[in-house]
Amino acid sequence: MAQIELKGVTKRFGGQRALRDLDLTVEDGEFFVLLGRTGAGKTTTLRVIAGLETPDTGQVLIDGQDVAGWNVAERDTALVLQQYSLYPRLTVRGNLEFPLRPKIRALDEAEIARRVEAAAQTLQITHLLDRKVERLSGGEMQRVSIGRAIVREPRVFLMDEPLSALDAKLRESLRVQLKRLHNDLGATFLFVTHDQVEAMSMGDKIGVLRNGRLVQVGAPDEIYNRPANTFVARSVGSPPMNLIDGTLTGGAARIGGADLPVANAGAAEGRELMFGVRPENLLLEGGAPLEGRVFDIEDQGVIRILAIDMGETRLHATVPARTRIALDETVRMGWQPDKVLLFDRRTGERVAPG
Amino acid sequence: MARIELRNIQKYFGEVQVIKDLNLTIEDGEFVVMLGQSGCGKTTTLRAIAGLETVTSGEITIDGTAVQDRKASQRDIAFVFQSFSLYPHMTVEENIAFPLRAVRMAAAERKAAVQEVAEVLHIAPLLHRRPSALSGGDMQRVAIGRALVRRPKALLMDEPIGALDAKLREQMRAEIKRLHIARGSTSVYVTHDQIEAMSLADRIVVMHDGVLQQVGPPDEVYLHPANLFVAQFVGSPVMNVADVAIESAGSDAAMLRLGAAGTGFAVPPASVAHLDRAQGLRLGIRPEAVLLRHEPAEGYLESETTNIEPLGSHDIVDLSLGETTLRARAESGFVSGEGQKVWVTLDPERAHFFDAQSGHALRRAG
Repeated sequence: MAQIELKGVTKRFGGQRALRDLDLTVEDGEFFVLLGRTGAGKTTTLRVIAGLETPDTGQVLIDGQDVAGWNVAERDTALVLQQYSLYPRLTVRGNLEFPLRPKIRALDEAEIARRVEAAAQTLQITHLLDRKVERLSGGEMQRVSIGRAIVREPRVFLMDEPLSALDAKLRESLRVQLKRLHNDLGATFLFVTHDQVEAMSMGDKIGVLRNGRLVQVGAPDEIYNRPANTFVARSVGSPPMNLIDGTLTGGAARIGGADLPVANAGAAEGRELMFGVRPENLLLEGGAPLEGRVFDIEDQGVIRILAIDMGETRLHATVPARTRIALDETVRMGWQPDKVLLFDRRTGERVAPG
Repeated sequence: MARIELRNIQKYFGEVQVIKDLNLTIEDGEFVVMLGQSGCGKTTTLRAIAGLETVTSGEITIDGTAVQDRKASQRDIAFVFQSFSLYPHMTVEENIAFPLRAVRMAAAERKAAVQEVAEVLHIAPLLHRRPSALSGGDMQRVAIGRALVRRPKALLMDEPIGALDAKLREQMRAEIKRLHIARGSTSVYVTHDQIEAMSLADRIVVMHDGVLQQVGPPDEVYLHPANLFVAQFVGSPVMNVADVAIESAGSDAAMLRLGAAGTGFAVPPASVAHLDRAQGLRLGIRPEAVLLRHEPAEGYLESETTNIEPLGSHDIVDLSLGETTLRARAESGFVSGEGQKVWVTLDPERAHFFDAQSGHALRRAG
């Protein structure tokens, strides 16, 4: 069990800066999710912590100790990858025992058996222990590779998109299982993903990574409801938050020729703004101030997602599945005034609510 | 414009039968999405329509003409793949014009045709670029443009946006649908992504193990799945499924008992009158039809939350009810964490029942 800290870590690959002066703290026992696109520096961060990459500048601390001089084994982190690398000719048991076999660990047979049984039970793969790995499904294989990490009883679990290669249904159930595993073990988890649903549903905390820098850290509801800037606002939520150009006049949002109420306007009067409103908070009602044309209707069973063109701006609204609406229909829109965020149009930073 | 019919299609790869007696009619101008996991036979079916694959037996007709023995080039069908397969040494304009050069269309006519397609796809400003200077979405627009430019009878697409990132996929979905509406060409689209299928299709064709499971408009497939496979393949989160026994509870009530535990939900007898209680039954209930309250109420059972997924716009809450776990869709922040007591009931109007043996849906008459 361990706390991890990165202080001012920079890492270059050739001319590319993968990490720029990155500061990051993962508390002991926390489930921390790093969310970012391809190339944001997610995997590099994990590899720097594991000791597979050496930072150009900055410090990596585990439980307050600088680990610069520690090799991979001494850091004692377990890395779980998207691509499970199991030994196909061994049984599940053989794969789970493998990391415990090296003499340096000096574990007796009883201890090895105990750890394997315990891990198998946690992951509900006891019935598979004597099966060859090549005869497992994708989800079972991923559980075995997580099992290989568990048996070592590492200080920290580092997970690099472990669910991305699985189909949707399996991903859904493994999300829940991984969270339960985290609860049971009480270990520190650093989980990396590009999938905002995974980040929202699993993380105690989410760190949004952009171009090697941490843009915001917070609990899922903070990231969703109080994004620090338009980048974070667009990173979580599907469809993404609507961002609408406008200004603030007399405490109301002025968009095109229309005025809309805003509950928390702060001191944004006279600035060039973007108003941020989530699709579920954009309301369709006759007589509302904004006007648009329905470009697309997506039926997702429980809800419908509308794409609405308001001039050059394409907006998204979520409506109940039974809403009657047709393509190319003209609709009027308002919003929930207490759910509106104000961003500076030039910098993208949130200016209100403060 | 084309009506495509598949009759009694069988396809073997060696010993393995990948399409099992498939019958399907695709109407002129329709947008049909074939949905299934990898290996279900959807791509093989699409390739058979295009003529890229032969069938072992059965008949494929396009506008009434049997084409199963014709070459791909004689079927007048266009195909778009997931990998863009553009010619890197040609400009966008030359790429799109390529199929027209092959049929020796006059230069002026060719230019007009390319221009028209480029405008529909919003790539007119890119016509003089090379593919290497395009984004993934634009490359796929060019590939679609090249497929459409010769005005084929039908457009077949095999996971055309599967390689794009989530945001671009969302945007391209809407564009592909508008393009279909504008052009009115018969379209057949293959995907493993149920959201794509739900949002694009006039009708969805669900396949599994080479067998067609259900054909219908998206809301019908969602609201009235034909069997357990379809029920759990379409919709996210996945539909809850549990063993269920039906018992009488007095003269005017019936009771749904889940799993081995003695927990039961009272439901109106009419909602279960069509079921044979002696038969093995499974209950299917979507997360939005699992209803929660903070306090006890008539018809609600006590349960405990075991997991919360806060998704921002709503939460997915897992509940343990005896041995059974149910997933419910709740408003954001409805419960603050795990281990909380909540009271739960099921909306009997939105309950599905399946034969435990065959998996077939057991529906109420009318």
